[in-house]
Amino acid sequence: MSVALPTRRFAGIVAKVNAFLLIAFVLVLAFLGLVAYKQGWFVHQSPIHFVTANALGINKGMPVKLHGFTIGSVNDMELAQGGVDVKLLIGSEYLRRIPQDSRAKHARESGVIGASVIDIVPGKAERALAEGAQISFEPARGINEIIDDFRRQAIPAFNEVKAAMSQVGHAGEDVTQILANLRQEVEQLPATHRAIRKLVEEAAQATADVSKQAAVTLDAVDKVSRTVDRTIPEVSEKLVSTLQSIDAAAVQARKTGEEVQLTLRAARPLVEHSEVAAREAGDVLGAAKRVWPLSDSFKETSDGLLPIDSFEAEGKGRSR
Amino acid sequence: MRWLAAGLMALSAAFTAGCGGGKATANGSNNTSLSQSRLTQAETRAAGFTKSGDYQNAARQYAEALRIATTLENADAIAANAINLSVVSQWLGRDNDARAALDAVLTDSHTAFSERRKIQAELRRAIVELGGGNTGAAAIWAGQAQQRCSATNCEYAAGILNVRAQIELDSGRAAEAAQLAQSAAERSRSSGSRVESANALRTLGRARYAQGQPAAAIEPLKQALEIDREMGDPRKILADLADLSRAAEAAGDAAAARDYKERGLAVSRAMNGGRGAPEAALTR
Repeated sequence: MSVALPTRRFAGIVAKVNAFLLIAFVLVLAFLGLVAYKQGWFVHQSPIHFVTANALGINKGMPVKLHGFTIGSVNDMELAQGGVDVKLLIGSEYLRRIPQDSRAKHARESGVIGASVIDIVPGKAERALAEGAQISFEPARGINEIIDDFRRQAIPAFNEVKAAMSQVGHAGEDVTQILANLRQEVEQLPATHRAIRKLVEEAAQATADVSKQAAVTLDAVDKVSRTVDRTIPEVSEKLVSTLQSIDAAAVQARKTGEEVQLTLRAARPLVEHSEVAAREAGDVLGAAKRVWPLSDSFKETSDGLLPIDSFEAEGKGRSR
Repeated sequence: MRWLAAGLMALSAAFTAGCGGGKATANGSNNTSLSQSRLTQAETRAAGFTKSGDYQNAARQYAEALRIATTLENADAIAANAINLSVVSQWLGRDNDARAALDAVLTDSHTAFSERRKIQAELRRAIVELGGGNTGAAAIWAGQAQQRCSATNCEYAAGILNVRAQIELDSGRAAEAAQLAQSAAERSRSSGSRVESANALRTLGRARYAQGQPAAAIEPLKQALEIDREMGDPRKILADLADLSRAAEAAGDAAAARDYKERGLAVSRAMNGGRGAPEAALTR
């Protein structure tokens, strides 16, 4: 059975389909071309390589940078004598900018957190690096080493601050002891004052008795009595003013002592805060070690093998 | 038109295949990554348990890591986890398990283990055998490790020499033991291995004591004690103090002998958490 198609409607259909297919073909080719261009297939690249004892943190495709500008990428890695042979593909146009004595360095873009890159540190040689040449490699400095450096420098400073504050604390205890003794002495002053007065009264009484008993020496005693009467008030006044001065000094000393105690009280939390801060900094760093994205930076560099220690052969390994 | 359509289809097919191929590779890679990730997790957990002193769980995790590494045919990981499992098993006093773990490397002729891993496994086996008192078997494995090590100039030369010195000492050949321990000390000094340096000096001191030269034994033992204190291993400090006490006593210095013995007892008590002291190590 045949179906009759309206001839006018489908006139030129072959040409239209051809045009459609041609456009689709051109678009696909253009897309493929664009992908190839983006992948750098049209850029001529030159290989160079380095050997590292430990390739932890280095991956295929990792960018290679010169002065912070991407000039290539890590192409391949394979185990070799003495470590891992890492091959880099560098845009040929950039190769002439890399002197022969340049070295590669494993670094991060923003300190310890950014993406890992291979950074080419240019040397000073006049001749450029040849295609396929080997360059030296410098592994990344781990956070562990940075923290150890910081700890080595910070701990002596903390210890000195602690020792200084401890000395201040001891000095404060001495001042407190002196003030306590002084206060005790001041408290005994009124009793002393009373005793002196009693002594003066007894002296007056004794003088009266003597005047009664010795008529012959009355004049002399009278003179003595007058002298005593004249001198005692002066002595008494001087004694009172001295006691007042001591009293004022004691009040001032007490005030100073209280101020010293307040200062020490204010300084002690500072020392305690310093210790707490140091401890917390340790905790934060410990926690940071376990948290992405820092965890990659804290990986152990060994191959995870437990120590092979000939001491275990003595049969003491189990008493560990 | 037909050639155009055919060309377009061919291009599409090629493009699809390319994408599909890429996908398949990625899937394969994902599977490998999953197993690899499990392996890494097991190794990390095992290392954590080992650091915290939980050797039972550490052994379990190393065994799991060994199993996963075997499924991945990852020779290096198989060897590393087998060796670690043997170390932890020996710490637990399971010498048979320690031997069995090492068999994964020593009796497998199909897997291409590196010479370094083979040396490590043979040295470990010698240590396990000597620790269990099998000096004959220990001598055979240490000899194999020595032979392989000589060919590759490996880093374990001092350790192997130390094991051989201990074998000679245990076999009653003190002169040979002293000679080997002296070589081990020189080797470890040049390679910078302080652990093996202390082991060599301790064995040298014991060998001299066994040769009837207690006065000459004291100096290397003191040096070993100094290194072990720096390294911070109480088991070794205790062993050094015990040996020093014996040597000082034999040399006629009773006061020094008493001092070393008291220090050893203090270390021993502290190791046992203050609950009495196993004095056997000091009176051996």
